[in-house]
Amino acid sequence: MAKVTDMVLWDKPGERVLLLGNQAIARGALEANIAVYAAYPGTPSSELTDTMAIVAKKAGVYMEYSTNEKVAFETALAAAWSGLRAMTAMKHVGLNVAADTFLSAVGMGVEGGFVIMVADDPSMWSSQNEQDTRVYAKFANVPVLEPSDPHEAKEMTKYAFELSEKFKHFVILRTTTRSSHARGDVVLGELPEEIKTGKRKFGNFKKDPSRFVDVPANARKFHPIVLEKIEKIREELNNCPFNRIEGKEDAKVGIIAPGLSYAYVKEALHWLGVDNVKILKLGTPFPVPYGLLEKFFDGLEKVLIVEELEPVVEEQVKTWAYDKGIRIPIHGKDLVPRVYEMTTRRAVEAIAKFLGIPTPVNYEELDAKYKKALEIVPPRPPSLCPACPHRNSFFAIKKATHSKGIYPSDIGCYTLGLLPPLNAVDTTVAMGASIGIAHGLDVALNGVPGEDERKTGKEKKVIVATIGDSTFYHTGLPALANAIYNRSNVLVVVLDNLVTAMTGDQPNPSTGQTPHGEGRRIPIEDVAKAMGADFVAVVDPYDIKATYETIKKALEVDGVSVVVARQVCALYRIGQMRRKGEKWPIYYVDEEACTGCKICINAYGCPAIYWDEEKKQARVEPTMCWGCGGCAQVCPFGAFKPVEGGEE
Amino acid sequence: MKEYNIVITGVGGQGVLTAANILGWAALHAGYKVRMGEVHGMSQRFGSVVSYVRFGEEVYGSMVPEGKGDVILAFEPVEALRYINYLKEGGMVVVNTKPIVPVQVSMGKARYPTLEEIRKIVEEDFKAKWIGFNAEELAIKAGHVVTTNTVLIGALTQIPEFPLDAEHVREVIRLSVPPKAVEMNMKAFDLGVQAAKEILGL
Ligand code: SF4
Ligand code: SF4
Repeated sequence: MAKVTDMVLWDKPGERVLLLGNQAIARGALEANIAVYAAYPGTPSSELTDTMAIVAKKAGVYMEYSTNEKVAFETALAAAWSGLRAMTAMKHVGLNVAADTFLSAVGMGVEGGFVIMVADDPSMWSSQNEQDTRVYAKFANVPVLEPSDPHEAKEMTKYAFELSEKFKHFVILRTTTRSSHARGDVVLGELPEEIKTGKRKFGNFKKDPSRFVDVPANARKFHPIVLEKIEKIREELNNCPFNRIEGKEDAKVGIIAPGLSYAYVKEALHWLGVDNVKILKLGTPFPVPYGLLEKFFDGLEKVLIVEELEPVVEEQVKTWAYDKGIRIPIHGKDLVPRVYEMTTRRAVEAIAKFLGIPTPVNYEELDAKYKKALEIVPPRPPSLCPACPHRNSFFAIKKATHSKGIYPSDIGCYTLGLLPPLNAVDTTVAMGASIGIAHGLDVALNGVPGEDERKTGKEKKVIVATIGDSTFYHTGLPALANAIYNRSNVLVVVLDNLVTAMTGDQPNPSTGQTPHGEGRRIPIEDVAKAMGADFVAVVDPYDIKATYETIKKALEVDGVSVVVARQVCALYRIGQMRRKGEKWPIYYVDEEACTGCKICINAYGCPAIYWDEEKKQARVEPTMCWGCGGCAQVCPFGAFKPVEGGEE
Repeated sequence: MKEYNIVITGVGGQGVLTAANILGWAALHAGYKVRMGEVHGMSQRFGSVVSYVRFGEEVYGSMVPEGKGDVILAFEPVEALRYINYLKEGGMVVVNTKPIVPVQVSMGKARYPTLEEIRKIVEEDFKAKWIGFNAEELAIKAGHVVTTNTVLIGALTQIPEFPLDAEHVREVIRLSVPPKAVEMNMKAFDLGVQAAKEILGL
């Protein structure tokens, strides 16, 4: 069981290894001789970026963690314009950030292969919405490839580069949580010599303003070119190795299964014991190749399309069938749910209904039993880690505002400040939106200087925005400039834990490190000062009292205040300490001192602290305590004390 | 063997992913086709987590379908129940009986069920076999609480019809943990094997 990063660079063609979907894509990009990779992390795409970060130097690939998806897109795009193979990756909502550049640049095309990996998150395991990237692709007239398993993900990545280069067009490789985070056996292919020897590749940019400057006169030529390209690609995809017809050739019923749904359909048919069907395995949900449809529909009496989320394939197939005068029943979203992710059960139920046969499991009975079981199961949502510095920041904010403020927040671990007992997050919309929303609330509720009417004193609403370091650099910057320029009266607390924690500790400008070595660290307070914030301070949230006092002071200032609460992510710190074999202090509850007031549980909520029902006292679970000492500062009776000698 | 489905459940940070990975590699080495599904990102932070390990001659999706799990390996008692819908009738539940109490329970907003209540649902409603013991205690005995997952894997290898060879799984663990932790993990594995044998009366 070798290290994953070694396996991704193994020069062992034919070897069978167990890889995560995202790692398999990284291997595919290396086998395709990628030269430049740039991305901003976002679940479920992050491991692709992290894997590239670790192997980049060795493989001679330039790799960067960009500050947001738009600039990542631009970095990779420019490389592709220079004839290099380039890639960027993002989660579905990241494409919204990159969309401005994406939609305008599509018409310009590329020189080297350019692959945009977009990871969708049906069922929203780690996201704020459930958008379907295939709809975007259709909107932009860009082909989408969608793998059904990790090995195919690797092979498809290589093919995506070839397709892109052949048509000088953008290609989207779309995954979902279940394909990005599926692990499966992958057979390694050949690595190009340049990757093996770690030779950095440089490109050549041929100036062509009529192509690369989208003034209206030029841009007008782009749209017809794009439409022509996409129809040529539709033709080409008739021969795409990831599209095929299988099953019974003379069957009367057919099932179309794009992407990962293919795996579920295969499993469902197997389980149902049905083999009298023809299957169209579709690796390219957009554009659907018509030639293949024609062959597939031949002899069929009815068709079911099993796809996740939006009816992207269904609409193309129905339009095509109508134009062709084909009048057999075509089912899709009438039998397959349009929300949340696909599962084998969903495929089983849809196919059973489509064929009028019973399901192998009595789901009604199962659901009833399960419902009963769940009645006694307490909820366990994710929570801020023990010793998480954000908990202290929220605690101080709540205290300083007497829990009466409005708290717009942002996307990151700290969104979990939403949960009780902290209840310190009132809004979360999108990356960087906390500051924009805070300003908007101030305008709507309080009024700004220069206006005739303005709320002051008790009437004034206190607004405290929270935003992480990575998010601050992602899209917080323009919002902060806007708030300062328009004379907002808000407090922005930047929760600076020096890494992009939620997605796996990637570096950002506040960290300074890059995958190629030292980058230049940009302290957030310097930026805030340079922008002209009315009050700027840095605090250590592990010192709760000092944090509270600084926030109090900041709230008295008229204008935009920025407090940087800086303390490294606890999970990251403990991980580092474990690796080095270092010990950290742990705390315990002195039974003599604990009065059972429950402040540590009801107002602070470190997950390592639990309630002893019998003794009616708080207790610390020693295996979960990471020794921040926050409890000791919060407890009014001094009941939390460090264990002598500490623990590892 | 057509396919074997393991559902691993627990609380973020308990080592659910590591356990899944070890079983996945053991299955790959045994020549099976392997599919695994796992959680990343926000849900990993001390929330409820679930991982799937599937292997056999032919396996498809990375998630075990509802009602098709051969065994649930639970790192925490209520987490066994939270994913009990994946278990097939007559399946097995191998569970660490040491609870991790959610904050909502400490705050008095929810109740933590008794072990007997949980066991009753597993055995009576789902007609499954219950193999429960305090794996954390055994892990501490082996040297450190982090070996809890190794204890549980050891126990898992003993259940009837488990398709992977115990020695084989043990070897994968030996190769995947840091050198200085090998001995401790081997001890933890054996303690898990022993515990399961006693419960199963082997
Ligand atoms: S990963 Fe870091 S930032 Fe996120 S909750 Fe844990 S300690 Fe806090
Ligand atoms: S010291 Fe206290 S607050 Fe910090 S992790 Fe330990 S129990 Fe939690």
